[in-house]
Amino acid sequence: MDKKILWRIVLIVAVVALCLWSLYPPGEKIHYGLDLSGGIHLVLQVETDDAIKAELDDASRRLVSRAQEEGVDLGETVTDVEGLGFTVQVPATADTATLREVAASWVPGYKASPGVGVWTFQLPPNMDKTVRDMAVRASLETIWNRVDQFGVAEPVIQRQGLESNRILVQLPGVDDPARVKDLISSTAFLEFQEVVGGPSPDRQSLLAGLGGSLPADSEILSGERTGLDGQVIGMDYWVLKKAAIISGQELRSARRSQDEYGQSVVNFSTQPHAADKFGQYTGSHIGTRMAIVLDNNVISAPVIESRIPGDGRITGNFSIEDAEDLALKLRAGALPATITYLEERTVGPSLGHDSVVRGVRAAVAGLMLVMIFMLIYYRLSGLNANVALVLNIIILMGVMAYFGATLTLPGIAGVILTIGMAVDANVLIFERIREELRVGKTVRAAIDTGFARAFGTILDANMTTLIAALFLFNFGTGPVKGFAVTLSIGILASMFTAVFVSRTMYMVAFAGRERVETLSI
Amino acid sequence: MRIIGDTSYPFLTYRRVALALSALVIIAGLAYEFLGPGLNLGIDFVGGTQVTLKFREQPELGELRSAFSDLEVGTPMIQSFDEAEKNEVLIRVENPAGEEGDFTRPILELLNEKYNADLANRFDINTQGSQGLRDLLVTADPDGMGGDDEAREAFYEPVAEAVLDFRKENGIFLTLDQLGEVEGMSTSTRDYLEGTLGLGAFSLLGAENVGPSVGADLQKKAMLAIAFSLVGMLIYIWIRFQLPYAVGAVAALFHDVLITLTALAVTHREINLPTVAAILTLVGYSVNDTVVVFDRVRENLRLHRGEDLEQLMNMSINQTLSRTIITSGTTLMVVLSLFIFGGDVINTFAFVLLVGILIGTYSSIFVASPVALAMNKVLVSRRERRRLRGRR
Repeated sequence: MDKKILWRIVLIVAVVALCLWSLYPPGEKIHYGLDLSGGIHLVLQVETDDAIKAELDDASRRLVSRAQEEGVDLGETVTDVEGLGFTVQVPATADTATLREVAASWVPGYKASPGVGVWTFQLPPNMDKTVRDMAVRASLETIWNRVDQFGVAEPVIQRQGLESNRILVQLPGVDDPARVKDLISSTAFLEFQEVVGGPSPDRQSLLAGLGGSLPADSEILSGERTGLDGQVIGMDYWVLKKAAIISGQELRSARRSQDEYGQSVVNFSTQPHAADKFGQYTGSHIGTRMAIVLDNNVISAPVIESRIPGDGRITGNFSIEDAEDLALKLRAGALPATITYLEERTVGPSLGHDSVVRGVRAAVAGLMLVMIFMLIYYRLSGLNANVALVLNIIILMGVMAYFGATLTLPGIAGVILTIGMAVDANVLIFERIREELRVGKTVRAAIDTGFARAFGTILDANMTTLIAALFLFNFGTGPVKGFAVTLSIGILASMFTAVFVSRTMYMVAFAGRERVETLSI
Repeated sequence: MRIIGDTSYPFLTYRRVALALSALVIIAGLAYEFLGPGLNLGIDFVGGTQVTLKFREQPELGELRSAFSDLEVGTPMIQSFDEAEKNEVLIRVENPAGEEGDFTRPILELLNEKYNADLANRFDINTQGSQGLRDLLVTADPDGMGGDDEAREAFYEPVAEAVLDFRKENGIFLTLDQLGEVEGMSTSTRDYLEGTLGLGAFSLLGAENVGPSVGADLQKKAMLAIAFSLVGMLIYIWIRFQLPYAVGAVAALFHDVLITLTALAVTHREINLPTVAAILTLVGYSVNDTVVVFDRVRENLRLHRGEDLEQLMNMSINQTLSRTIITSGTTLMVVLSLFIFGGDVINTFAFVLLVGILIGTYSSIFVASPVALAMNKVLVSRRERRRLRGRR
């Protein structure tokens, strides 16, 4: 056999073998996109204003308490998030020189503008950017930790753009979307707070008990009241000291467990420095209630029975899942700001499964139709085209597997479309060969010119489709991107199979024959 | 075998009729889209929430609708999804104007209140997941494994996953008896689960929620993608052929996109991300036919110097006609099978391609070449005039 033909065969076998190898076993190698495997795609926005507010609140509190230590009593503070500053009431009698000194050392960088009775403090320039950026980074890390601990395989968690406050989360294969969504987006800010008054079924009676007004250092929070069977039967209102005894950040570990009645609880242990604080407080407040507050909800307010050194237990009306998730969130840390959903796409596992089954059915039906048509219309040359078509699909899948590209539902449509378009190249070539045969060329000459002439056309036609696919890739989200990738690979593969492989098959068929009289086309 | 032999139809003779017909359809379509009922933009572009559910029993749509009257949003669109006997329902609601947030949650809470009130705190096998089920089994330990949590987790995890795999294949548990069909479950576990689990009325097939900012983003991106790909085509064909051909090809593409949009509007099909993807694909595909014809024109220009361009174009269209018909035919075959077998999710995608391929085949013959011919005349006569002016 001709050496040239041999080389061609070696190349084709090598490419196909490589593709088959990278494809095997197909169940593991082809990655399904979210729309086929089921899962969640979320775009979240970190409300960075929260972080700015926290920063301003913190600064104003620092200023007031330090000024007080220096003998300057300041009045009410008001935080202005939009104006990136806060105001504080300064009595006419206050020592302004000392106030300036305190401000310079305790809220450094802040620009102080004295006014009549009210001073305004402005956040240092560019600091808001830093604060916002930190909030997004910290949120990203917390979400990572939570997802990681929950155990999702191959999650995608990334910031959308360097400066943006949007986070993209993709979790394939999740079968309980509601739970995972909760897990990601709840702030999980836990505090242990001293109970001043309550419980009471409404706000008014609580206030009445306090003599009509709420002390400045206290707040009213509520929590669900549950009956013995665990059903919610109403709300309880509590008066709590604002300053927390300890907060969730000071915990070292947390685990779901069961108490002696079989109720799910969360066991925790605190960090060493917090253990002292906690032990001291609980030791001196035996017999009083302490509220456990999660995201401003009182989950329970047990009576302190003894000094709690470093390990404690959070009780509440938890289901197993609730307790598991709370423990997980406490381990992973609180979010520094609230999170808003901008976009959610959840695909239940059964819908994805159904899509795969149907997509494959459509692909097989389409493939069969095209192959039968090619066989009838072009006879043996049609067989040639069909072999090329099958190789095209193998190469397409192999390349996708090799690069770890994901197969999406529109991607399956892309495969199906590739089947239709791949034969286009063969049709172009065959029609050209027929034309050349009609003008009286010999079979060999007709094949040679057919391939040569058609190639330019095929190139131009496929380039335009690739241009469309390129913009498609840039525009699309997950599933559409998957489609663009599939389509592009399919087109490139079809150039190889329809032109190179088909040509080689003709060469092999006619090798060693002196004269070729007829061509089955 | 041959479907189309040597032909010599004078296609370009009918170009004025064809262009007028196309223009009429396009204008009627634009009027329908902008003055009439308009395009049915899906939640990807206008924002909103869409939930697809599978019920155990066929839900009464009227009853379902009344359940949503409490939700303070516009009138929800509730319709059955896919084949009727599958008991699948699609619920679509507008989000409160301008607000971002998790709007699937209130919908699911509402449905739970309405249909699953009797479950109380039971673990709902139709909505909850494998990890929760595993934890439940680890805590209860119906098989009496003993040992620490980790050992029990390792034991019960496959059981929980098998239960969820069953739901994945069937979409929903119709009765708790179906637990008997789950493989690898011991009788004691099964007894325990039958006594403990709740059987919710529905399972969640999918949920989508697009806020206004993402919707606006996607809208902009979709327009840009279509515009850029058209410009990309224009430049490529300009380089490979000549400006008149590029203009002809892009005019044909505009034609295809506009008529396909009209078809979408008239059939009230929703326009979402995959629909736009299909339109872009159509752009890439439809230009193929045009390029094949132009390629032949280029070749014939070299072979038959001095012949009239209109004659050459007619000849080229006829020479490539059988290829055009066959390729459109094979692609149509696969798209048709996608349209029929692909299911509801991909149906509109297939519809766009189906319409687009038919229109694209027509336009590559009756729009692209005539426009290229007209453009060529304009350019040539301008060049003539310039030459004449130069002589004076």
